[in-house]
Amino acid sequence: MKVDKSKYCYTILFFLLGFFNAGNVDAQAVPGKDENIPFLVTFGKDGKTSWGDPDFNEIFFFTILKDYNKPFYIRVFDPDCGGANDEIQGNYNSKFLFSVYGGKGVDPDKNEDSKGLEKGTNFKTGNLLASKVFGSEAKYDNKFYTFGPFNPSEGDYNEKWNSYIFKITCEGISGDDGNLYKFFLSRDPNNNLPVEGANAFTYKYTFRMWNDFKSVAHIYPYVDTGVVFIKQSNFDWDNDGKILVVSKYKQGIEVPISNEDKWATSNITIEPAEANSSLDFQFHKRQDDLVKNNNVAVTLKNQRGDALKFFSSPIGGVPVYSPKANIIKIAPKK
Amino acid sequence: MVKRNFFSVTVFIAVLLAGTEMRGQQPSIYKVDRMSFNQSGFSEISPFIVKDGLIYCSDKRFSIIKDRTAFDGRRLYNIYITEMQDSSGWKKPREINGERNSLFNNGPFSITQDGKTVYLTSEIETGPAAKKKNFKNHNGIFVGELNGTSLINLRPFKYNSPEYDVGQPSVSSDGKFLFFASNMPGGSGGSDLYVCTFENSDWSAPVNLGSGINSAGAENFPYYHSSGRLFFTSDRAGGLGKLDIYSTTMTKGKWDDPVLMPEPINSASDDFGLVADGDLQKGYFTSNRDKSDDIYRFVSTIIRKATCDTLIENSYCYRFVEENMAKYDTVPFLYTWRFGDGQEANGVIVEHCYAGPGTYTVQLDVLNLITKEVSLNEKTETLVVTKVEQAYISGPDSINAGQRINLNADETNLPGWKIGQYYWNFGDETIAVGNKVDKTFTKPGTYNIQLIVSTEPEPGTSGRETCVSKNIVVFNKP
Repeated sequence: MKVDKSKYCYTILFFLLGFFNAGNVDAQAVPGKDENIPFLVTFGKDGKTSWGDPDFNEIFFFTILKDYNKPFYIRVFDPDCGGANDEIQGNYNSKFLFSVYGGKGVDPDKNEDSKGLEKGTNFKTGNLLASKVFGSEAKYDNKFYTFGPFNPSEGDYNEKWNSYIFKITCEGISGDDGNLYKFFLSRDPNNNLPVEGANAFTYKYTFRMWNDFKSVAHIYPYVDTGVVFIKQSNFDWDNDGKILVVSKYKQGIEVPISNEDKWATSNITIEPAEANSSLDFQFHKRQDDLVKNNNVAVTLKNQRGDALKFFSSPIGGVPVYSPKANIIKIAPKK
Repeated sequence: MVKRNFFSVTVFIAVLLAGTEMRGQQPSIYKVDRMSFNQSGFSEISPFIVKDGLIYCSDKRFSIIKDRTAFDGRRLYNIYITEMQDSSGWKKPREINGERNSLFNNGPFSITQDGKTVYLTSEIETGPAAKKKNFKNHNGIFVGELNGTSLINLRPFKYNSPEYDVGQPSVSSDGKFLFFASNMPGGSGGSDLYVCTFENSDWSAPVNLGSGINSAGAENFPYYHSSGRLFFTSDRAGGLGKLDIYSTTMTKGKWDDPVLMPEPINSASDDFGLVADGDLQKGYFTSNRDKSDDIYRFVSTIIRKATCDTLIENSYCYRFVEENMAKYDTVPFLYTWRFGDGQEANGVIVEHCYAGPGTYTVQLDVLNLITKEVSLNEKTETLVVTKVEQAYISGPDSINAGQRINLNADETNLPGWKIGQYYWNFGDETIAVGNKVDKTFTKPGTYNIQLIVSTEPEPGTSGRETCVSKNIVVFNKP
């Protein structure tokens, strides 16, 4: 029998990840615990991109291991736009559509449109399993709304990851306010209990920065084999500090940061040792003048133009730089 | 004092008249031995090294019943070749035949590197005049080809003259220079050494080698070695007696002052006509130290290694590189290397020299300039700084000629060796033994000094030996 080694490796990787997450009472949180990001953010479609959301939607994918065969739930924290957490632009007048998709068409490895990276593409691919519109509703303010239960087999099976893929989207369908929220994948409708081996990823990460000097946000793109360099693009960073790229091979590469309503791009060389591991994009706040309510978006593409996945739980764990000191004997100084 | 005319004919007479003079013995760096093919009562002179053997001149009889003499009864010199039979013996010499063999003295000579063209000394006048009583024939150089053991197509060298002698040719290995001796007018006295250059398909006019080489005495038997060293014979004052062999090399277009070859190559008797193999470690010369002119072999007893490691300067200096980050802009970080000897430096790449051997703990601290977070001992390495395991020559890299210097092997680091001897070869054919030695180089140049260190031999073992070399540049005195 021919053994698909790559599949086996990925399965192991996810299994380890799942094991690690089993002790995490927050389950598969999006943003993840290691990411230290306060909220995802989506603005109503009448908002301005200069507020930090370039396309007024957020798309996340959840992976459920094939072997997991129990119902699961996707819980949204503070799905409404009003009251706590959210960013008001005058009066709260915005509505947001949260949708959960499964089935064929969801898996972004097989359907590029599903990533929702390009403007105008229909990212609402797959079978709509559930959806709900949220406005300013105290009932959901600073509280959870639970989608599900979902049967894992309702997802779009991805052989490489040995997982079923589900997608959740948030669209700002009206208004101009900023909705700040979080996702949780849970095996329980009322509590955040992790689904073993599950993970979450996106291709364009739009999120809220902390309103303090010290907190450092992280996102963890996964670098597949064959990647020689990546092109990073960050949006509306507002000169709010610095972005460092860290890996087990890089102590910290500073990348150009964007200004208000602008994209900044640069290429980052990927060393062979960095393949099959995660990078750590660190977002360090400016220390001299606090920038509040800063929302940013980040995308990454490799040299082939393929978008990189940002995993909420970094594949292979949080990358830790491993210094390599080399001591070389040189000629005596005369 | 009897002046020896070396233009072939009168060698024997001169030998008979030669006296003996002993000088104080110096430590010998050469061993000499007389060749077995020498015949008592006859002269064997002017060897020339060829493949597998020697070509030389001899006035020996051809057979019991056959002899060849000049009109005045002197035996004629002719040319012979003998091949080495084994490491000590020689095959029976064979005559090199030629059209002039029975008529005139032939030799000395020189052969081009390809073994084909021969430059030969012989007598110029070939007509009846040469047979007249009291006629003084002169020597000249003849050029021909060697075909097996036959000399063919002999033709006179363009600078031969019936008025004076030209002979004892030595052609350079590249065929561009022809050195010879001549008593042509304009010399320094006696015979002088000259050189012609082969250019535009012809030999240039002879150039006198100058007063640095040619003395008021007689210089003869030039031999231009492939290394560029010119050996010759002179009866000048300052030698060991009568004819002595000298050598010189050219520095910046000028011949250095000739150096007297040491005993036992030179002796109180006549010593002349030295030739040597490629590395100058052995060769042949002529001497009448045992009454008649005979050919001797010399072998250098100087130990000089063909392969000898170049001295590696002991270095306690290191470059410290945070290798991953050396490729990238490291503005956000401050790297501090603590070298373990109380000193530190900042940078992704730094260099540091320790005072000496030891074990040092090297630590790398990193300050994140953005977060102000310090990662102490982000990397820790143990660095063992040692001397190179080698014999070691301590001494200056450059000195002035005539300056006395001290060399020592104190820094030699050969763990486990029970050293029995430190042997120094100074690269100028002088040696010394000991851990500390003194040396004075008299001539400018670059000298490759070898230090050969060997262990005391232990029963059942051959001991260990290592060699290290170092160049010392000797400048002219300012």
